[in-house]
Amino acid sequence: MDYAWDFSAIVQYRGLLLVGLLNTFKLAAVCLVLGLAFGLPVGLMRYARSPWLNWPATAFVEVFRNTPVLVQIMWFFFAFPIISPFDINAFTAAALGLTLNTVAFSSEIYRAGIQSIAKGQWEAGKALGMTGKQQLTRVILPQALRRMIPAFMNRAIELVKMTSLASVIAYGELMHQAKTISTIAFNPIEMYTVVALIFFALIAPPALAVQRYEKSLERRG
Amino acid sequence: MTEMLRLEGLVKRFDDLEVLKGIDLTVQKGETIVLLGASGSGKSTLLRCVNFMEVPSGGRVHLMGEPVGRDGRGAAISYSERDLVPIRARVGMVFQHFNLFPHMTVLQNVMEGPRTVLGLPRSECEARARKYLDKVGLGWKADAWPSHLSGGQQQRVAIARALAMEPEIMLFDEATSALDPELVGEVLDTIKELADEGMTLLIVTHELGFAYTVADRVLFLSAGRILEEGRPEEVLLAPREEQTQSFLRGHGRFRLPETPAQEQA
Amino acid sequence: MGYDWDFAVVLRDFDLLLLGLLNTLKVTGLALLFGVPLGLVLALCRLYGNALIRWPVGLVIEFLRTTPPIAQLFWFFFALPILAGVEINPFEAAVLTFSLQSSAFFAEVFRGGIQSIERGQWEAAKAIGMTRNRALRRVILPQAVKRMIPAFLERAIELMKTTTLVGTISYADLLFRANQIAQSTYRALEVFTIAAAIYFVVIFACSLGVRLLETRMARSGESTAR
Repeated sequence: MDYAWDFSAIVQYRGLLLVGLLNTFKLAAVCLVLGLAFGLPVGLMRYARSPWLNWPATAFVEVFRNTPVLVQIMWFFFAFPIISPFDINAFTAAALGLTLNTVAFSSEIYRAGIQSIAKGQWEAGKALGMTGKQQLTRVILPQALRRMIPAFMNRAIELVKMTSLASVIAYGELMHQAKTISTIAFNPIEMYTVVALIFFALIAPPALAVQRYEKSLERRG
Repeated sequence: MTEMLRLEGLVKRFDDLEVLKGIDLTVQKGETIVLLGASGSGKSTLLRCVNFMEVPSGGRVHLMGEPVGRDGRGAAISYSERDLVPIRARVGMVFQHFNLFPHMTVLQNVMEGPRTVLGLPRSECEARARKYLDKVGLGWKADAWPSHLSGGQQQRVAIARALAMEPEIMLFDEATSALDPELVGEVLDTIKELADEGMTLLIVTHELGFAYTVADRVLFLSAGRILEEGRPEEVLLAPREEQTQSFLRGHGRFRLPETPAQEQA
Repeated sequence: MGYDWDFAVVLRDFDLLLLGLLNTLKVTGLALLFGVPLGLVLALCRLYGNALIRWPVGLVIEFLRTTPPIAQLFWFFFALPILAGVEINPFEAAVLTFSLQSSAFFAEVFRGGIQSIERGQWEAAKAIGMTRNRALRRVILPQAVKRMIPAFLERAIELMKTTTLVGTISYADLLFRANQIAQSTYRALEVFTIAAAIYFVVIFACSLGVRLLETRMARSGESTAR
């Protein structure tokens, strides 16, 4: 393996990579915020006694958890525009797929987190005369959220990794920019090595931090 | 008399904490030694140094007349895992929490050591396992799973598992502490039987009445040292040290069997 | 929404989709076949290797776990052949990538499983004279593997989902076939919906199986505590 590595093209096209990086962040941020925001109501709907709330929520979560996320993205890019009332570009398709996927997964985190709080806590709130909503927001969620933080962090990390799938539908995030550069500059070895390293540098530190945090939570019990 | 175990100036440190501060002890074949002491006195650590579950930080252990470990440079003795493994096979140990292998039946638990460690043929292992299960009164449970046994039964299986290695010394590390009170008796009876048969035993226990009846010698440990040592009636009935006295007062459950005490007097 | 659904066009090519599914299962199966044993080796290196082994192995595991699978796939398909001077077809690249990628995840499952076994089990094995290797083989791993089964299966399902990437290097899996049919029939909505439905049926069935197993194990675990 006496291959002569040449990174000059990557330096030359660093602007393209930077744009890709920004797009990766943009996509991840939008999906994370929307996903976590809508995850809570969906998670709560699965608690509802009424089948009109419970059933659709359950069906939604199962569909999005049990199909590959790339299929979701491709569906929103190739299939959905046919019946969509609005225009779909690569960004909206990727954002739709990844957001709904995040909603499904985070709703399960909310659900498990709320379930992990002892029943006595609801009852204590009830005994004080709190409404159901007050019990949830004043007593349960503050306790549950702390336990959910590592799971949400892991979800966020997973999401950043998943944004790379948007390259399949030619959204100009980091992976797609790398693909483009490697085609222009004929440097797949350098380019794909560098892009893997960039992702590693982006994701490894928070992933490590979450692992540490989880361990410290375990120790505190 | 044959010397089975000799400890010379045994020291054990965990990081900065010195748990054993120089223990000297000689145990003859067939002797039953009971180690007493408050929690943190080092009695369990002492036991665990005998079969090298813990490697001593200083001093020397002689087993069956042989010093264990190689002399390194200076005062340090080096212990290689390769040398320690066969020693553990000759010293049996019974734990507080039984530690039966949950994925094996009772019979398999007892066969495991002879089979994989001693490499004996299968049929011999099984015969041996059944013999020792019968000995602890559990031959009829050979095909049961550990999880389906009571705590007392599990502990007796653990004793059979250790015996199946036909060890020269047996160590009991608070073998009844995790048991419900009504299950303690059956385990103590089993241990007593071993003592009567002339097995060399080192026992850490909080059952003082048992210690009194079974022990040839009782050692009272405090802060990593042997504070007091003697025949059971000496240490348990007429302790010299203030600490031993207060330890015994703290164990209200201790009821002396009356006849042997009077015989001694 | 005045769209005229027409599934008939698509159903004519249904066998192509099934062939694609077969390829999906093939890649998944082979990746499991290589990934699980490799994962065990990596886990043991990470747990018991000396610093010279532990650190690099840990780094490799973390690298494979934290970089996007598509970046790995592209590297093995586009970069590795030039670098190593060998020809690698899409199928080989896919199996290679997903074997390595999943081995890193399986390594962590193994590690967690081994670490979850109580210290008393090690001590009991040690006390009857077992060496560490023998204790691991006879006492620790059999118990650990049983505990890990649900995590293994979940990981295997995750792997199957990830293999949808192989279409990007033109390996004809289910999603790749769907895309082809969509382009030839102009019926993207029907094709992708059906493809998604097939994935859902297969994956959901597996998930339900895992959940069933988990509750059953939890129930039997209660009665066999300790």
